[in-house]
Amino acid sequence: MDHSVSRNWRDPELLLKALPSVLLQTTCFIAPLLMTFLLTFQRTRDFQLRWTWDLATWTDVFTKPHYWTILGHTLVMAAACVAISMVIAFPIAYGLSTRFKRWENEIKILITFAFITDATLKTFGWVLFLDKKGAANFLLAGLGLPPESVAFLFTDWATLLGMVYNLLPFAIFTLYLSIDNIDRNLILAAYDAGAGKWRAHWEVTLPLCKPGIWAGSVLIFLLGVGVFLEPKVLGGGTSPMSAELIRQTFETRVNWPLGAALTLVLMTVSVFLVLLFTRLLNMKRAGASA
Amino acid sequence: MNTAPILQIEDIHKDYGTYQALKGVSLSVRQGEFIALVGPSGCGKTTLLKQIAGFEDATSGRISIDGRDMAGVPAAQRPTSIVFQKLALFPHMTVAENIGFPLKLRKVVPAEIAARVNEMIALMELKPIYLDRLPRALSGGEQQRVALARSMISSPKLLLLDEPLSALDVKLKKVLQSELKRLHRSVGVTFVHVTHDLEEAMMLADRICVMRAGHILQLGEPADIYYRPADAFVAGFIGETNLLPVEITRRGKDRVEYRGTGIADETGAIPVRFIADQVGTGQALMNVRPELIRRIGPGDKAECSMNAQVTEIFTKGGTVQYRAHTPEGYDLAIEIQGTSDLPMRVGEDVRLGWAKKDIWVLPAGAA
Amino acid sequence: MTARFEDMLINSLLYGVLAAVLIFFYVPIFTLIAFSLQEGRYLTLPFEGISLKWYGELFKSATALTALRNSSLIAAFATIFSTAIGTAAAIVAVRYRFRGKLAFHALTGAPLAFPQLLLGIVLLLWFSVLGRWFGFNTGVVTAIIGHVVYITPFVMVIVAVQVYNFDPQLEDAARDCGATTWDVYRHITIPLLWPGIFSAAIFAFLLSWGNFYITYSLAGSTRTLPTFIFSGIAVGSSPLYPAIATLVFIPGILLVITAAGLRRKYSGGA
Repeated sequence: MDHSVSRNWRDPELLLKALPSVLLQTTCFIAPLLMTFLLTFQRTRDFQLRWTWDLATWTDVFTKPHYWTILGHTLVMAAACVAISMVIAFPIAYGLSTRFKRWENEIKILITFAFITDATLKTFGWVLFLDKKGAANFLLAGLGLPPESVAFLFTDWATLLGMVYNLLPFAIFTLYLSIDNIDRNLILAAYDAGAGKWRAHWEVTLPLCKPGIWAGSVLIFLLGVGVFLEPKVLGGGTSPMSAELIRQTFETRVNWPLGAALTLVLMTVSVFLVLLFTRLLNMKRAGASA
Repeated sequence: MNTAPILQIEDIHKDYGTYQALKGVSLSVRQGEFIALVGPSGCGKTTLLKQIAGFEDATSGRISIDGRDMAGVPAAQRPTSIVFQKLALFPHMTVAENIGFPLKLRKVVPAEIAARVNEMIALMELKPIYLDRLPRALSGGEQQRVALARSMISSPKLLLLDEPLSALDVKLKKVLQSELKRLHRSVGVTFVHVTHDLEEAMMLADRICVMRAGHILQLGEPADIYYRPADAFVAGFIGETNLLPVEITRRGKDRVEYRGTGIADETGAIPVRFIADQVGTGQALMNVRPELIRRIGPGDKAECSMNAQVTEIFTKGGTVQYRAHTPEGYDLAIEIQGTSDLPMRVGEDVRLGWAKKDIWVLPAGAA
Repeated sequence: MTARFEDMLINSLLYGVLAAVLIFFYVPIFTLIAFSLQEGRYLTLPFEGISLKWYGELFKSATALTALRNSSLIAAFATIFSTAIGTAAAIVAVRYRFRGKLAFHALTGAPLAFPQLLLGIVLLLWFSVLGRWFGFNTGVVTAIIGHVVYITPFVMVIVAVQVYNFDPQLEDAARDCGATTWDVYRHITIPLLWPGIFSAAIFAFLLSWGNFYITYSLAGSTRTLPTFIFSGIAVGSSPLYPAIATLVFIPGILLVITAAGLRRKYSGGA
């Protein structure tokens, strides 16, 4: 149902409500992004920004493979995080909208709380849990397993675990919303047409929540390429990801133009990949229906 | 009876972008009248109601209520009250708060509000124990009465009803229709009722205004609309009918000569009072309502008659409906009250006839 | 028979995954709570004893208390601003049709899919350059602005759901009853949107209260609880940090339960 009313920008009611957010996001989101872009054409000398307007930073970015290796690693990690999160989130979201009705509210509260709790704290919790002398090994030793069975802290696996942990709720919520919006009658119709449970699932439920799967994947991918805490704290900084590199560029090297350029490269490449995949999927769908 | 118009609508146009919802509507409603606006969805009836209530401004034209021009007067300050299709009862307020809301906004003292709310409750035959309940705890019919009470409490000059009965089941609808009629008689307020249900409009309204595509097609008393529709669309919209193509060969001063394929007529002429004004010579349609057609027995006579074969029979309680196919390729609908002494069977060849006084000839045109 | 079996199989599978995920979600949280109870000086197992000693230490630590105060201050202001701006934007996004609506959606929703760290950095650059020109340093105010930029889109989405379920005809009905624009807001719109606004405010508070990335970039030398804990993340540090972490959980638990209760109270029908 659409119950929107047509409004003109001269209407004070529209202006009053829309202007604060428009101003906020233009002055504190769009303008800083433009500024970031402009900064890439400057240089830093003696930890001071110099307005030089040249392409030195970009030359540096495009000639050092180091940055691109890290970027590639970041993209792979983010993609892996998307895949794992979606596989785990689907049964949860499906259950929430169809079978967990009795505990629906309680489950939602539990997930929301875990989601809303600060990532720093939870990441710290994981360190304490996964450490060689941490809780996991202590508990396993109590069960008679050899000491240090859990020894993947400070590897990419720990980073991935942290990323999935922190981003999984986004997957659950987006999938839940899209599955919940499916008309139950369609699924019943599939049963009626003689489809078994699994078949109905494959041919009705899954295709219908494609938009949700896609939206969740995009969100997690974009947030995943920007993680910093997980590789630093859980990965132990051994195999840095782009955000960590950017952080260092700003903090340790105080090279703002380079940091700005790397930020833009990261965002542009990620958004480009998202658009590319959207395009490919659409083409496939168009091809399949033709 | 005071005949000064309480509501005067002059040449109202309303455009939404390039879509014209109202294309020049004029209407005059008398004090105390019950008028029904009917038409298919998208005909502009609800748009017209919104113009009267003041929720939207017209693109051009003029609306005055009780002699006062309403241009620029917001809904809040108009002497109108509307009952919405979905009722729009405030879910967070009790029944008493809902009904008393218009008075609360007018800063009436609480004791007086309570007294007026009780009056309205009595008028609407609602039980006082409902006053402290939330609207959703009430049945559909009770909610309807609460909505009416809220609209009536501020003593509006015009009560606007936007299909408020359309969501109810048939039985409850009947009860509330007679309620509305009673309310209208007892309070003497002018009612403007939008509905797509013609039967409802016939039953309630003093006058019916049939709309289509932003125009008023016909305005008149229920019997006028039913038996003397302005065109094929109105005829078809207000119940099932038979429209037989005829050719007007000559238009005389008090009678019209015509030819109709398959129609047997001894005189071949119809008195002009059964012909719509717009009908000239050439193609026209003869409108005959199903209940005015009867079977003619052997040796019996009718002013007009046709041969046909009965194809279907539907028994509807007190009346029986028939479908009959004529050799010329028309399908006729016939409705006969009670048990006829000349019952028909499927497959039977029959002769069907009707009287000249039951005819209404209207212009041929797109239905 | 087989259908029943299949049904049971699916149910146990789904509940199994759910249980595993919930455990997964709560492992680090319970680990932190457990470690905060360690009596000894170090974050190692087995514990030397169980005590609330470190909670006592916490209230003696001036830096921890300052961090607590800063967190509360930033969260309070960020909540007020983001709730107000986001609620207005939600009404605009759902209820109005206007030129540039798509651009409005994109502009107001974009920070949702923008990594927090990068948002923090981009804003840091912006405020540093502006600060150089106008002579100010990053601190509590810039942190609040950063939080508002990041949180407002969340508020917008949450309130938008409530706006979507709100029948605008109720506003017409109120106007018809004689209500002015202000009356409509006071008696109808705000009371009916309240559950959504309230949940959004709670969400906003918690997002700000626990925020690390943006605070880290924009608060300058000011420490909040999360940035304070970040400085103490290491197995070698003391149980003071898990104790702070546990305290940070508490408002979260309370507020999430309150919000859920409120939503249920209002969603009983209508």
